[in-house]
Amino acid sequence: MGLAIYNNSEKQKNLNVMKQKDVGIIKKIIWLRLAQILVNNRYKNGDFIIPIHLAMGHESIAVAVDETMQEKDGLFLTHRNIHYNLARIGSLKKELDEYYLREDGLSGGRLGSMNLSNRDKNIIYTSSILANNLSVGCGFALGNKVKKSKGVTFIVTGDGAIEEGSFYESLLFLKSNQLPSIVIVENNGWSLATKIDERRARIDLSKLSNALGFEYLLMQQNDPYDYLKKMELCRFKAIDSKGPILVEVELTTIGYRYENNNSHPDGKFINYHGGPIQQLEEKMYPIIKDSNEDPLHQLINYLPVKTLTSISNKLRNKLKVEVL
Amino acid sequence: MKYVQYINSLIKSQVHNKPNLVIFGQNVNAGSCLGGLTSGLSVQDGLIINAQNSENTLVGIGFGLMLNSVSSIFFMKQMDFLLLGIDHLVNTYNIVRQANPSASFTIFPIIVDSGYEGPQSSLNNFDDFCSIADIEGYSFTNKEDTRCIISNHLVKPGFRVMSTGQRLLQEEVLDIEILYREKDCKYFQYSKGENVSIICFNQALPYGIELRNVMFNCGISASLFSINSHLFSDYSLIINDIENTKKMIVIDDTKSKNSIRDHFISDILDRCILERKKVILRSSQESNYYPCKDTLEIDYQYIANYFLKK
Repeated sequence: MGLAIYNNSEKQKNLNVMKQKDVGIIKKIIWLRLAQILVNNRYKNGDFIIPIHLAMGHESIAVAVDETMQEKDGLFLTHRNIHYNLARIGSLKKELDEYYLREDGLSGGRLGSMNLSNRDKNIIYTSSILANNLSVGCGFALGNKVKKSKGVTFIVTGDGAIEEGSFYESLLFLKSNQLPSIVIVENNGWSLATKIDERRARIDLSKLSNALGFEYLLMQQNDPYDYLKKMELCRFKAIDSKGPILVEVELTTIGYRYENNNSHPDGKFINYHGGPIQQLEEKMYPIIKDSNEDPLHQLINYLPVKTLTSISNKLRNKLKVEVL
Repeated sequence: MKYVQYINSLIKSQVHNKPNLVIFGQNVNAGSCLGGLTSGLSVQDGLIINAQNSENTLVGIGFGLMLNSVSSIFFMKQMDFLLLGIDHLVNTYNIVRQANPSASFTIFPIIVDSGYEGPQSSLNNFDDFCSIADIEGYSFTNKEDTRCIISNHLVKPGFRVMSTGQRLLQEEVLDIEILYREKDCKYFQYSKGENVSIICFNQALPYGIELRNVMFNCGISASLFSINSHLFSDYSLIINDIENTKKMIVIDDTKSKNSIRDHFISDILDRCILERKKVILRSSQESNYYPCKDTLEIDYQYIANYFLKK
């Protein structure tokens, strides 16, 4: 089960001894949020003809993966990949150009958003098909074994994709063939417009891991330092155990709409899936939710809002210059 | 030598010196090793994996290996198992092909055409798999086309499917002289005649050979071709032959309703004036879905007589 999150005194202690790298993590999370807000504003403006799935609320896990990955590791992503792609590349221009399908884009305008990968940053393959990337990641991991490479394969999936047979098949393959890997289930509780309890029985991933004979770790509350510490531990354990580690990340994809139809005349809450987020209030410190569902809320435990706002302003100005 | 032993020897010679090759599939290195197809294989610094029963995932794994510059061959006991991997044949391959990978990935399913399998298992719709995402595909039936295709394509960079029929595997290898081989083994010519052109698709060459022999005994000299590639190609040599004979017989044993045969025929109708033609296909009967013979029923003498008529 998940490790306990820091208590307040530990956080204060952390704050006091925060090193440059630690502040870098905070900056990265804020930057990811600001970059996505910029994309969303252009999306609302009708700039993009391709579908884009924003990932506001997913910043902590993306930064933890990015910070943990080593030179020979590989990352396999899903249709919702903006947070990982941006975290790995650290700039917005190339990704924006890809969204505009320009030749200067990250993949020369040939992949768009839902399949965006970046070999230079070890994002090997991205699939818009539910659970499709799992087995391709297995193949990559098997290739590492053949080549005697020390790399760990990170495969991101979601609570919808774990309903597919390939999820089970791939975990079985990773375990059976002793392939160091981390399978990350981003559990946002929704698949398109249906909540988990509207479409299926609960899947206890800790029991599934136990049945297949490898470790499971739950991540909650979006604390970036907690996530980073756990992700580094997972990488170590994947290598040490020569097999997969299953990580379930409970998170909220920020954004929503109300669907009005005959069944729901007063409107049914539908969490954000894709497209522009219409109702988004922009603040100087770009926090959206006053709870730990928002990774930026967690940052307040580490730095004063005034400092976070100052960091945000600098990053915002830099972003504007970059994408001018 | 049995055909399966012959193919096995060709595979062995192609894989044993290829570094870092992964050979995988269910029972590739256990039991009968797919009826002898994969027995005794060895690889250099690679892996041979008796894989789990997860065809969808196994197809994805082949593409993942490709993305890591590692070549592989996925042997499959029955072509219908490949139905489970169609997502990867289309969606994954459409991404992987953009990267022009240096590694090779070959899927080698056996077409179960020995008959009496019942409503399942006997799928032979090779054209459908190839058509769905412009996938390179080769079938073979005899000593020489098998040698050419395996030596040229089994571990070549890129992705393809290659297959042969189970019915032939336990028979003596069919040794027939080849007159012409298209440079990429897309089609082969076995004889040159003046009276009629016989063109065989999928696994139909043995029928074509029998028909050619019956016709020869009736005084009809036939050109004989097999189309081995399941993607539409440039058939100039065959078209020239048909322009000369003005008579065409097409034999296709596929169950596919989406065969390259139809593209070929429309090409011929566009470019040739035909005095006589015959297309021999599998009948669409409900009984095809019950345990039944899987062979084409052809009255060779009737066809020969038809082409003898003035």
